[in-house]
Amino acid sequence: MAPFTIEPAPEPTLGESLQRRGISRRALLKYASYLGAVMALPASATEAFAEGLANARRQSVIWLHFQECTGCTESFTRSFSPTLESMIFDLVSLDYLETLQAASGEAAEEARLKAMADNKGKYVVVVEGAIPAKDGGVYSTIAGQTNLDMLRDTVKDALAVVAVGSCASFGGIPKANPNPTGAGPASQFVTDKPVINIPGCPPIAESMAGTIAYMISFGKLPELDRLGRPKAFYGETIHDRCYRRPFYERGEFADSFDDEGARRGYCLYKVGCKGPVTYNSCATLKWNGGTSFPIQSGHGCLGCSEPDFWDQGGFYRPLSAPLRDMGLPLAAAGAAGLALGAGAAWTARRHLANLSAEPPKPEGGKS
Amino acid sequence: MNAPPAAPGLTGMADAVLSEIASLAATQAQGGGPAAVELTSMPLTAADRAEIEARLGRGEVSATIESAGRSEIWETAYSGVWFVRHLGRDGAVATETIEICPAPKILFSHPDDRRAAAARLSEDLREKAAPAA
Repeated sequence: MAPFTIEPAPEPTLGESLQRRGISRRALLKYASYLGAVMALPASATEAFAEGLANARRQSVIWLHFQECTGCTESFTRSFSPTLESMIFDLVSLDYLETLQAASGEAAEEARLKAMADNKGKYVVVVEGAIPAKDGGVYSTIAGQTNLDMLRDTVKDALAVVAVGSCASFGGIPKANPNPTGAGPASQFVTDKPVINIPGCPPIAESMAGTIAYMISFGKLPELDRLGRPKAFYGETIHDRCYRRPFYERGEFADSFDDEGARRGYCLYKVGCKGPVTYNSCATLKWNGGTSFPIQSGHGCLGCSEPDFWDQGGFYRPLSAPLRDMGLPLAAAGAAGLALGAGAAWTARRHLANLSAEPPKPEGGKS
Repeated sequence: MNAPPAAPGLTGMADAVLSEIASLAATQAQGGGPAAVELTSMPLTAADRAEIEARLGRGEVSATIESAGRSEIWETAYSGVWFVRHLGRDGAVATETIEICPAPKILFSHPDDRRAAAARLSEDLREKAAPAA
């Protein structure tokens, strides 16, 4: 006689799960509208987005912390309260996240291994922080395992990797010159899985939530740029969407942080704003519940969502000054914008667009 | 060089957006499908947003939805042109969309919710009808 076993009930879909809690599909439609708006999806896609979420099951997520400050986790979790914005936590099962999980020690590591076994080939690995590789990776270890080994071990059966923050995406501050630990981004060490980069120091919470929700709903990766960033959030520069852009067009600039131009809210280009070369959504999504973003607070963009932003020659040096690792067309275009106003500004924009142009990326391909 | 804004905070974007809405409404009136203009991600100033809202005005229908936060929906003074505003944390505006359609989808109940509601209603009636133990 075969042993008697009780089959576990199939995991409910997200729609069923919400329904059991008395939450109607309107909540998902509203959430899809919200994410669709921030991702600039066509309005016609909203219903399909909502239906996809309703029919999906919770996505297992293993979140790894490496060389980082935990600011990305703070951005992801603290931006939310139990309203529309928090619905991402209904969509994912955070099976391992050292910052938040109650378990510690061996129990914590067992949770990671169990999630990997239970969801083999289906789980998403979120990487926060750079990975030190020098001297065998001894500069950062967890439970006696180097970050490099933990990454390789965890990723081997994953569906995809999401690198959150500039450290995981591009190496960030750990990789800054002289990079004493040989730190590198996730994409340097993960070569057989799709890697999506969500850079920023920290990234905007909606960029992380929107990317994950898109993957859950549509079952595919969002369209990525040449640096592996979702175009929905990194398709335009801060400068393109900046409310101070008209001042740039008119050639009205702050020359210092305490001059008349600064008081009048003029463009911060000449005091080092990196908005023209920085692809991110800060100017539209903003921070702190949509309150403002750095330029709105009177400080130029640092360019934190671009590779090696820490080593670009100084946060207060204008882009028209010589910049390390940035090509002549960009510096020249910036100088022309200062000198010639609107016409040159559009020339600069075209240069920048050319810089960001990339060949179409195969769906599901590596970054 | 651009001309200075006509009024404080107005960039001219409101006129452009209203023109687009008018064009979409005309298409809809001639049998076209539903359309929408998403305001949230546009580089609009607060004055631009207020201008769009004021010039579209208010019509006969308004509704509020309490689901994952509050939503405010109203038909503008132009039939078939709806203003849909979803609020998020602390009542902050999460999205603002102008929908050009007979009625916004979010006002309709979803078939799955209707099925669950019908079953729940029947169950509630059965429980009421059952004799007390």
